[in-house]
Amino acid sequence: MSRLVLARREQVVRGGQPLAFFVGLVFALVLGAVLLVISGDPVIDTYQRMFERSLGSADVLSTTLNRAVPLALAGLAVSIAARMGLWNIGAEGQILFGATAATLIGRIGADWPGPILIIAMLIAAMLGGALWALGPGLARAELGVSEIITTLMLNEVALRLIRYLQNGRWKDPEGFGFPNIEARPDQAQLGAIWERAHLGVIIAIAVIAAFAWFVNRSAWGYELDIAGASPKTATYAGISMRGKVLGVMVLSGAIAGLAGGIELTGTAARLSENISNGFGFAGIIVAALALMRPSGVALVAVAFSAVQVGGLSIQTLGVSPAVSAIIQALILFGAIAAVVFSTYELRRVERKVAS
Amino acid sequence: MSHPAVELDGIWKRFPGVIANAGASLTVRPGTVHAVLGENGAGKTTLMNCLAGVYLPDEGAVRIDGEEMRFSSPSDALAAGIGMVHQEFRLVPTFTVAENVVLGAAPRVIDAAAINRQVAELADRFGFEADPTRPVWQLSMGERQRVEILKALWRDAKVLILDEPTAVLTPQEAVELGKVLRRMVAEGRSVIFISHKLDEVTSFCDEATVLRGGASVATSVDIATVDAGELAKLMVGESSATPPSPRLATPGDVMLSVDSLTVMDSRNLVAVDNLSLSVRSGEIVGIAGVAGNGQRSLTDTIAGLDVATSGTVSIGGVDVTADPPRRRVERGLAYIPEDRLGVGLAPKLPITHNAILRSYRDLRNGPLLSWDRAKAFGRELVERFEVKVGREDLPMASLSGGNLQRLLLGRELSRDPSIVVASQPTRGLDVAGVAAIQNLLVAQRDAGTAVLMISEDLDEILALADRIVVMSEGRIVGEFDPRVVSRSEIGEAMMGAPT
Repeated sequence: MSRLVLARREQVVRGGQPLAFFVGLVFALVLGAVLLVISGDPVIDTYQRMFERSLGSADVLSTTLNRAVPLALAGLAVSIAARMGLWNIGAEGQILFGATAATLIGRIGADWPGPILIIAMLIAAMLGGALWALGPGLARAELGVSEIITTLMLNEVALRLIRYLQNGRWKDPEGFGFPNIEARPDQAQLGAIWERAHLGVIIAIAVIAAFAWFVNRSAWGYELDIAGASPKTATYAGISMRGKVLGVMVLSGAIAGLAGGIELTGTAARLSENISNGFGFAGIIVAALALMRPSGVALVAVAFSAVQVGGLSIQTLGVSPAVSAIIQALILFGAIAAVVFSTYELRRVERKVAS
Repeated sequence: MSHPAVELDGIWKRFPGVIANAGASLTVRPGTVHAVLGENGAGKTTLMNCLAGVYLPDEGAVRIDGEEMRFSSPSDALAAGIGMVHQEFRLVPTFTVAENVVLGAAPRVIDAAAINRQVAELADRFGFEADPTRPVWQLSMGERQRVEILKALWRDAKVLILDEPTAVLTPQEAVELGKVLRRMVAEGRSVIFISHKLDEVTSFCDEATVLRGGASVATSVDIATVDAGELAKLMVGESSATPPSPRLATPGDVMLSVDSLTVMDSRNLVAVDNLSLSVRSGEIVGIAGVAGNGQRSLTDTIAGLDVATSGTVSIGGVDVTADPPRRRVERGLAYIPEDRLGVGLAPKLPITHNAILRSYRDLRNGPLLSWDRAKAFGRELVERFEVKVGREDLPMASLSGGNLQRLLLGRELSRDPSIVVASQPTRGLDVAGVAAIQNLLVAQRDAGTAVLMISEDLDEILALADRIVVMSEGRIVGEFDPRVVSRSEIGEAMMGAPT
């Protein structure tokens, strides 16, 4: 008798990862084609549209880049926490509260000059995200409460807060009775850098590059590695685990909050329940596909964004939203399988038989 | 004539670099509680794992009721009536007592009420107090152990192996356990009781087998006819004491002093009990004792990894009881923890990361770490302490046990400490590794460092220590001069035998 088990590869195959991603993509597209045939949609046209509307021209590529910004920052937030074994499932809430804090500054500084207002709003967004992660960080550091649960629950709180504000205190008086929050000041708009792409793209790249460099070069990053690999060893070495847990959670929240601030000043005109679009949760997938390496999140986020943008676009061809969602999911599954199979392989083992 | 319930005949079991069992034998008569005695590392647990189907012996026969068996899994052994309660319990915390008991051996149709009743009856039969509906996470360690025993009884185990069962029990719970064992053997079952505590063995057991160095040195000794001192002698051997290596420095000032220290363990039981101890510069104080008598709590508290309930720890005359670990290191303390891979090192990280663990703060340029200097530091350490490594970016775990310990000890000594606390510094190392580590410790003492060494290896203590103290149940129960003491004197003190 024998069975198949997943075992770690003894040596990593050279160039295996790109190859695995390619194979994963082909698998996903073939399965998606079967689905399209069943649903009666044109296969070639659909895939062509998907590509054209995500990467096919400067116009759509710049949209894809804009959407990649919050994905990449959320991915960075998750990966930094994961580096020391913490799960920040609350990037979504931190994005929402970051955007809320930025909106508050927008209301206060409605007549400030654009650049100053934008900088103030982005700082407020980071502080807001940090504040949203502070509670879970404290609870984890002082009492050992699972940050997975607390960060997840605070997502809902941030959402309800926005719902409250849009129906109450911040309701737009000129919104014809619709529950909308007043639009942010016009001058708080991040400038365009290329086609539709805004300055947020540059900010995200700079933040990710700075972190990738700092984490690998600094004593702080070294302590993070020790704390993540073995908390007992960190304590033995005189590294305060409480301080590290708290610091990393707050930092992770600040990065996610920044994503909320950039969404507000870059793409959205006003704070709303939908401002995050699930970026915080997608960030977990981005971080996982980047193997929790800060340096990898940017590239993964662009690919992820392209799949989402392209996937949405095929609905204009008459493909149903459900089929579009399934095709996006298949591509993700292909990518995740590629990550698994570039480090693991299937091995046949003999089952032990009692004699 | 009836067959023995269990017969292990000439069992050999080798692991890479270690011979755990070298021709060990054991005969257990039905209806008896049989003790398996031996120091740590004597091969007790391995032998029991061979009987319980966890390991397949390399050589030798396992006979149950006179019939030769070959168990290739614990379930094979269980089917033949052998149940084992391991030191770490294997229970589902969120399940109830009854659910845990029947897990994997439940009737096809599950009737919760009937199962609860049956489990309660089973518990009652053996004199347990157990509420079958309580979830296991609410239970004390002693109660959890009863659930493990019930699990074996539910499967109708004829032979029950208990691996150091009293280690997790309070003294009262231990007495209760003794009563339960009596009821079991009264039904004709047999119990194998692994221990290194002589007083328990003499009060609970009928016969004993003593293991030393993986072999049985005495089998089926009738407990009623032997005194505790003789058993202690059998366990530790009779070889003559090695005189300690002559020291070059004369002991100077007290560098480390522990005064009336009390420490609680994670179960809130007393681990270190009002203990006082001092170590002078230029001497090695060896703490002898069986594992689990508070040594770990003592050294962890000295290093600042555990918290004192009362009493003080002073380094170089300064009270450091409230100081964090880092402050103590800065005052000249070096600590080689017992759990090298779990506490002293980060096995998954590269060798360089581990080499600079104590000194990375000195390798900074502002907030940045100079990796060039870090690598140079690591290479110097590797060379000076003759650590055999591949590349320094390989994970620490790629090193052999002896080289891991050399790097760890070298790292601690590289800061020129005034006090070295070394816990089980040579455990598990090969002969060359043991010699290298011992030489480093002796050289450190001769250079005037205060050395506190904890070891279960009496030979090591006798060879290195200038002063020997024996620790038992969190207290110091004796102090000896290694030049005049005999092994059996120390052995008896270690085993808690009346001296």
